Amino acid sequence: MKTMLKPFAAALVAATSLTAIAVVTATPAAAETVLRLDEVAVGELDPAKATDYADSMLMFNVYDTLVLSKQGGAGVVPHLAESWTISDDGKTYTFKLRKDVKFQSGNPLAAEDVVFSLDRMKAVGQGLSYLFANVEKAEAVDPTTVKFTLTRPDSPFISALLRLPIVDKKLVVQNLAAGDGEMKDWGQAYLSTHSAGTGAYKVVSHNPQELTVMAKNPDYFLGVPAKAPDTVRLRYSLEAATVRTLMTQGEHDITSQWLPPEVLKALAAGGTQLLTESGGSGFYIKMNTTKKPLDDVNCRLALTYAFDYEAGIKMVAITDKVSQGTPASGPLPVGMLGSLPISDAYQRDLDKAKKYLSECKYKPEDFTLELSWVGEVPLEERFALLMQANFAEIGIKSEVKKIPWALFSEQVTKPENTPNISQVFVNAVTGDPDTLIYGMYHSSAAGTWQSPEHLKDAKVDELLDRARTETTDKERAATYTEVGKRLRELAPTIFAYDQNAVFAAGNRVSVPALSDKSKAFGLSGMGFTFRLMEMNE
Amino acid sequence: MLPVIRLLAKRLGTSLIVLIGVSMLIFAIARVIPGDPARIALGPNASAEQVTALRERLHLDQPIVAQYGYFIADLMRGDLGISLYTNRPVTKDIAEFLPATLELVIASGLMMVIIGLPLGILSARYRNSWIDNLIRLVTLLGVSAPAFVWAVILMLLFAYFVPLFPIAGRVSDTITVAPVTGFLFVDTLLAGNLRAFGNVAWHIVLPAFALALSGIGQAARLTRANMVETYERPYIEMAQSYGFPEKRIANRYAFRPSMIPSLTIIGLDFAALLGNAFLVEAVFAWPGLSRYGVAVILRKDLNAIIGTVLIISAMFLIVNVIVDLLIAFINPRIRYSQRAA
Repeated sequence: MKTMLKPFAAALVAATSLTAIAVVTATPAAAETVLRLDEVAVGELDPAKATDYADSMLMFNVYDTLVLSKQGGAGVVPHLAESWTISDDGKTYTFKLRKDVKFQSGNPLAAEDVVFSLDRMKAVGQGLSYLFANVEKAEAVDPTTVKFTLTRPDSPFISALLRLPIVDKKLVVQNLAAGDGEMKDWGQAYLSTHSAGTGAYKVVSHNPQELTVMAKNPDYFLGVPAKAPDTVRLRYSLEAATVRTLMTQGEHDITSQWLPPEVLKALAAGGTQLLTESGGSGFYIKMNTTKKPLDDVNCRLALTYAFDYEAGIKMVAITDKVSQGTPASGPLPVGMLGSLPISDAYQRDLDKAKKYLSECKYKPEDFTLELSWVGEVPLEERFALLMQANFAEIGIKSEVKKIPWALFSEQVTKPENTPNISQVFVNAVTGDPDTLIYGMYHSSAAGTWQSPEHLKDAKVDELLDRARTETTDKERAATYTEVGKRLRELAPTIFAYDQNAVFAAGNRVSVPALSDKSKAFGLSGMGFTFRLMEMNE
Repeated sequence: MLPVIRLLAKRLGTSLIVLIGVSMLIFAIARVIPGDPARIALGPNASAEQVTALRERLHLDQPIVAQYGYFIADLMRGDLGISLYTNRPVTKDIAEFLPATLELVIASGLMMVIIGLPLGILSARYRNSWIDNLIRLVTLLGVSAPAFVWAVILMLLFAYFVPLFPIAGRVSDTITVAPVTGFLFVDTLLAGNLRAFGNVAWHIVLPAFALALSGIGQAARLTRANMVETYERPYIEMAQSYGFPEKRIANRYAFRPSMIPSLTIIGLDFAALLGNAFLVEAVFAWPGLSRYGVAVILRKDLNAIIGTVLIISAMFLIVNVIVDLLIAFINPRIRYSQRAA
């Protein structure tokens, strides 16, 4: 027996020794402050392709834009641009650039970099390039003046510039890879792994599925406070259980917003602070207005009043004070330009629901609603089940159907294939109401994942088009309010809740932009501006 | 021709045919998964024109046979195309993620052999004793629960409650390893950095053990069953009656003939680890190929799906060839049957 156990003992001793050596030798030696975060893969580093949350986090720190989202309110403020003027016809925007800005390479910022950035964005044709479809051209008037000419007046253009990161033309041109035309690949290969911005952080290493490491740019034109993290390590696609353990061990600083509410609750119960970002997105339950029975507005209104909004918000509550959702009053999140007041927030009213149902041309016994949920978003299954129970209370039968995202985005292109009910989260990519609701409700945009209602309403179209040409916030706000009221009448959507992104954070980091409303940005992802964070050790 | 060479040539030939078959199959399957790859790659906000342009660039507007032709032509040049998921060449992604998975799988395979086989020998040697019962119970647990359940349990036990091991990544944040081969064990040794080597070993313990547990259980149980059967053979009785030492009987006369089925199973398990690794990789944030494979399937990233499946299939076949050779080496009957054939 003893001899048989010898190899085991030897193996055990070897393994234990190795572990012990490793534990002893792996003591951190660095004194620098390191901020550790996670997000869902992939981290797209090329600013012309940035769309997701992780991409935005990279973009807002590595690159700068002509304007910046205003903290504590709506609108934009100058950033790389000192000032700008708009022509009387609303088609020409002229920007005066700051003279003290240098790229991370040391090259000075010039108007031709802005022109190149726009041309590149349009040539690559991915990401949010559609925001600039209306821009005819950009010209460098002189080294510090750049002029954009639009094909038609377009008020949301100024906010769209929040999504035009300025790249270092000279550096990119030096690193072009194979491709057609003078600009070959427009530096796509290079910019997928390197930074070429003016931002407060530069990329040290980047693997889009694993980890991006960034370090302070000491030459940043606004300066980077000493308390801002020296190094930022952004990991991708960590499992919830892993994040929870890492947070408990103090080896992680800020979680992504995609953690299940239960994990956020557990972390909050353990003393972890909760950070929030709100105002730019909503959770929408979309009704196909072209198919029986939801082609009848009374049936849609019946469902609108049968839905239990309070129960929905409770399902996404983290603590008594923090929730992933707040009551919605219409298509625009409360607080956004032109949104309806919180007093208009929907309430469940079964009497009203029954009344509208009785006025619907279809009888509940004659149809079964198809309640779809996107397979990759488990939360939507809970909402599908909530709807099934709610609608059953007014006698409407329904079946819950799980659809993978890829299939869903294909199905919605045709009204006849689109489910009766779909659920989507939609976000204003520039913080402007136009980027949130034009794509959802204008008839020209029907049949995308954002618009499975297939709504075709002349008045909504007219209002949305008009808001694009109005030049003052007051006029635009009034028009968007009118859009909201019209959509409440048409009821193509159940406005389930305004979305709050909730992040758990360790106490060694302070993030004013995500914890103090007066310092919050009006654009999703900008709260993760690392230079404005403070490391507390 | 030497029998082993003949066996090797035969196995390699068969493997090549299997690989071609797999490439055709996965090429066809990848194209029938619901969803437009161009639409998924460009994101929900892309215009119809952008989607059409990308479809043309990827040849998705052409018949599937023509698409396969383009694929084979590119493959001959060693080009697996660009991943629509990471926007990088698929070969670059694979080169970056494969070493992490191989390192994990090799560590798990070694654990299966180093722990599984001796447990089986012990169990058979002391059959029907408390040692045997204990080992059978423990190995049954290993076999019954999938690797990702063990991954979470091990994480809870050895990281959450008793923080002994790290749970994310291949090496600590504070250590920098210059990439040479991508295999961190090798790269740290090449750099002469023993501290980093220890750190890498420390990181691999939990994921490799979680992945290996099922294989350890299978290897132990199979070895035990075969050895118990062998112990019933007359030549063992003869050896015992001649007074041969028990250790010699166990290791040489009972274990060696029982090793062939165990080796076959370990070989199959080892190859299957490549496919099973993805959940363990996900739990331990292990930047490996299996996790990448699942991510690209969900995004319907055609080039990356085919590249990943081909590489995993090739690994599977290579491991099987190695196991066949090992078995032929151990068992002369198999070796010499090649000569007869």
